[in-house]
Amino acid sequence: MSQKKTKTICKIVTYILLIIYSVFCVFPFLWMLISALKPKNEIRTAIPSLLIHNPTIENFKRVLIDSGFINYIKNSFVVSISATLLSMVIAIMAGYALSRYYKQKLVKTSNFMMMLSQMIPGVLLLVPLYIIMQRLHILETHLSLILAYTTFVIPLCTFMMSSFFDTIPYALEEAAEIDGSSRFATIVHVILPVSIPSLVSTGLYAFINAWNEFMFGYVLISSDRYRTLTPAIMLFKGANTVDWGGLMAASVISVLPVTVVFLFLQKYFLAGLMSGSVKG
Amino acid sequence: MERDGRKMAAKQKRVLDRRKRDRKTAFIMLLPALIFLALLIAYPLGKVVHDAFSYVHLINHSLRGFAGLDNFKTIIEDEHFINDTKNTLVWTIFSVTGEYIVGMLGAVLLNQEFRGRAIFRAFVFIPWLVPIIVAGMTWDWMLNPDFGIINYLLVNLHIVKEPINFMGDVRYAMPTVIFVNIWRSFPYYMISFLAAMQSIPKDLLEAASIDGSGMFTRFFKIVLPQLKSVSLVILFIHVIWTSINFDFIWVMTEGGPNYATETLPIMIYRYSMKKFNVGAASALSTMMFVTMTILFVFYYRKRAQISNENN
Repeated sequence: MSQKKTKTICKIVTYILLIIYSVFCVFPFLWMLISALKPKNEIRTAIPSLLIHNPTIENFKRVLIDSGFINYIKNSFVVSISATLLSMVIAIMAGYALSRYYKQKLVKTSNFMMMLSQMIPGVLLLVPLYIIMQRLHILETHLSLILAYTTFVIPLCTFMMSSFFDTIPYALEEAAEIDGSSRFATIVHVILPVSIPSLVSTGLYAFINAWNEFMFGYVLISSDRYRTLTPAIMLFKGANTVDWGGLMAASVISVLPVTVVFLFLQKYFLAGLMSGSVKG
Repeated sequence: MERDGRKMAAKQKRVLDRRKRDRKTAFIMLLPALIFLALLIAYPLGKVVHDAFSYVHLINHSLRGFAGLDNFKTIIEDEHFINDTKNTLVWTIFSVTGEYIVGMLGAVLLNQEFRGRAIFRAFVFIPWLVPIIVAGMTWDWMLNPDFGIINYLLVNLHIVKEPINFMGDVRYAMPTVIFVNIWRSFPYYMISFLAAMQSIPKDLLEAASIDGSGMFTRFFKIVLPQLKSVSLVILFIHVIWTSINFDFIWVMTEGGPNYATETLPIMIYRYSMKKFNVGAASALSTMMFVTMTILFVFYYRKRAQISNENN
């Protein structure tokens, strides 16, 4: 009897704590959304309210059209999708080598190098990267960001892919090989079709990383034409300190794509992220 | 006899061919990744170390040549260097500790079986998906002294008399930035711990439960030791990632007010992008890199030791 009672109490405490956690995590978004939909006079008030008296999409219109955010969104998509595809191809190849040929010296060294490279932060390399991009004449282009983002996600994406390949039995490939199929054909026709869950999570990781990145976008791009979303928000903030409605609308726009995709694919994503991080 | 020998030789040759082919395949597969890492990480890193000992200025090109230790001297004699080092330590230690505790508690909660677990798990993970700039700004807005909801609540619940200027006050700026960092980063810890907890054999916990050990004993005696290796990985990576993080502090306070939140990465940025003194910025980068390498060696040994214990 008493044990049952403790169990019930335990459950109630768990629920209460989890609700506190959820409010702590989700309320800022709710508040962001509410503020984005409020007209100016309701935002700049000493008594903030959860209710919106006169909901408006004025803030979204101002940000998207007047401030050119449509263009920044497009740039962010171009850069993030390209970086994702590029890093996927590289990570699939390297991940396969790491998983299947882990006994070779070159593979061991590469594995160590990738681990080490995760310890080297972008900010230390900011100036030389800037100069390299300048020399390659790709400063102020999408390509500079695509290259930078790809480089910094390669290690973790490779670890995620290789720990997934570890779970695929080697017999599968051998059968294809006996049938006379080449190594590359085997990977494309045999391995990749069974790897879809981990391709999804690895791709999503690369995409989120590129979409959310701030520093390189801020330093490598200074023209409006190629600017991505995150630096645009920072500059918008600097130029319009008082326009909280517009800022919140811009924030909603920038978190929406990632959050929606995550909610649909969270099961794959979290599982993939774990396998990579524990290994890396 | 002879035929057997030939057979053996042919077999050996096949094995050799195979090994050669495998080596070639591995090389081709790794090549793109290695090119990227060499061109955009290894080469720039070499350049940073080289520049640390040279005079390099982005605007004034006449300033050049071997500098010896001058750049290091410039950094160490900077009036903010000691303060920034202290800030970096405070920022890293408090962020990582907070993230660890909040993440661990969250994992313990989500590790129980109850209805709606998947929904809670998704909710609690959301902060990690937000761009840092958005996390920083949303909290900035909520903490606003004039129109922010948090100051409104604090004043109305009579917790404080006057609204607090969280980001603009030297006393509150650092704790505020650390708090927002914990908010955004803890989900990653939580999910990692959760994955590790779910691999702990159930009967181990049940046996302990039958033996009459309470919830806390079970946690500290059974669960926590099992999380030793994942904790080491997570803590190490985050100590590195936090100490070198530029974005968070830059988007929230730009190192202010009055250098109260300036950490070493912000100082690197200030030297390179504001003062254009690349030599000095590289010297500081090199110092940070050396520190990190030492930490990495330490970590690598510790990890090998733990995996030996487990085997």
